[in-house]
Amino acid sequence: MSVNIKVWDLPLRLYHWLMALSVLSAVITGELGGNLIDWHGRIGVLLLGLLVFRLVWGFIGSTHARFVSFFPTPKRLAAYLKGQWQGIGHNPLGALSALALLGTLAALVLTGLFANDDIAFQGPLFSLVTKDFSDKLSGWHNLSFNALIVLVPLHLAAIIYYARVKKHNLVVPMLTGEKVVPKAHAIELSGGGVVRFMAALTIAGVAVWGASYGASYFESAPVASTATAAEPSF
Amino acid sequence: MKLKLVLALVLGAVSVSALAGQAEDQQVKFRQSAYSFAAWNCAKIKSQVVEHPETYNKDQIIAAANSVAAVANSGLGALYGPGTDQATGWKKSRLKPEFFDKPEEAKKAGLAFNKEANELAKVAVSGDVAAIKTQFGKVGETCKSCHDSFRIKD
Repeated sequence: MSVNIKVWDLPLRLYHWLMALSVLSAVITGELGGNLIDWHGRIGVLLLGLLVFRLVWGFIGSTHARFVSFFPTPKRLAAYLKGQWQGIGHNPLGALSALALLGTLAALVLTGLFANDDIAFQGPLFSLVTKDFSDKLSGWHNLSFNALIVLVPLHLAAIIYYARVKKHNLVVPMLTGEKVVPKAHAIELSGGGVVRFMAALTIAGVAVWGASYGASYFESAPVASTATAAEPSF
Repeated sequence: MKLKLVLALVLGAVSVSALAGQAEDQQVKFRQSAYSFAAWNCAKIKSQVVEHPETYNKDQIIAAANSVAAVANSGLGALYGPGTDQATGWKKSRLKPEFFDKPEEAKKAGLAFNKEANELAKVAVSGDVAAIKTQFGKVGETCKSCHDSFRIKD
């Protein structure tokens, strides 16, 4: 007996697709450079907001959004690999992949806030650190990117594998939020109401505001001469 | 007598080894200085044209664009002598050794900077802020493409 049941709440689904779109845009603008690097910076701040939202939602979101419900403990992983795991949210292997992606994106965003490209771009919090440290963080930003270009294709390959081999469509539930599951495993979602959503959104908004304006107090325009070209000056 | 001779030889050897690499270090120092100077001028353009257009000052931007073009036109290639990938200027050079295996590509990267920087100097005179912004982006792309190909990411 199978039933159609809600698995992913709306905020989580919105978060997921916004994340996918933002990461894609960040990669493209980062690779192209030029004036688009400023958009790379703005998207990075948006990504910070999304990640903070996800972090908070991992504690106050609905059942399958919460870290405790899917954290890939050794016990759960072992059960999954033996084919004994039963559940309807992230399976333990998928959870591992999701957490690796989240961690990598967090590393990219946090280093990016302080990074510089040695051309004419600085992350919004660049002025809070020394140039040497910013250079180091920029290096880590580049290194973390290597992890991302491994994990994203892995994520996509896993979705294709589940669809083709295991006959589990993972994309539709991420769009509709609903999944057909054996009746024995069906549990109703709990938590993640409107008030909690507003709270998570507020915390994410504070992070975005802090990243955008937190350093403005320390910033100054590059030193430029005040003289006009008409008169020779130093 | 013998001691003096040994001493002289040792001192000579020490000073020669101290001199070794000095020319390469000097080249790296000059080129790092050149790009830093260009970066200061690019920062002025970015600030006045891209970030805070209300502060745009035509004369200052012309001067900044001319300075960037002057750096590009100064014959920077002369500062990329063999061995300078291992040399230290203000800090250790991040030039990739591949630079010396791909002289054609390296030349192309240098000439691209030249072309776009000269165009920026030309556009700066027009006072058209939108056009300066677009051209400034193109200069930045030439910086990035050379960094991607020939600079070690640390």
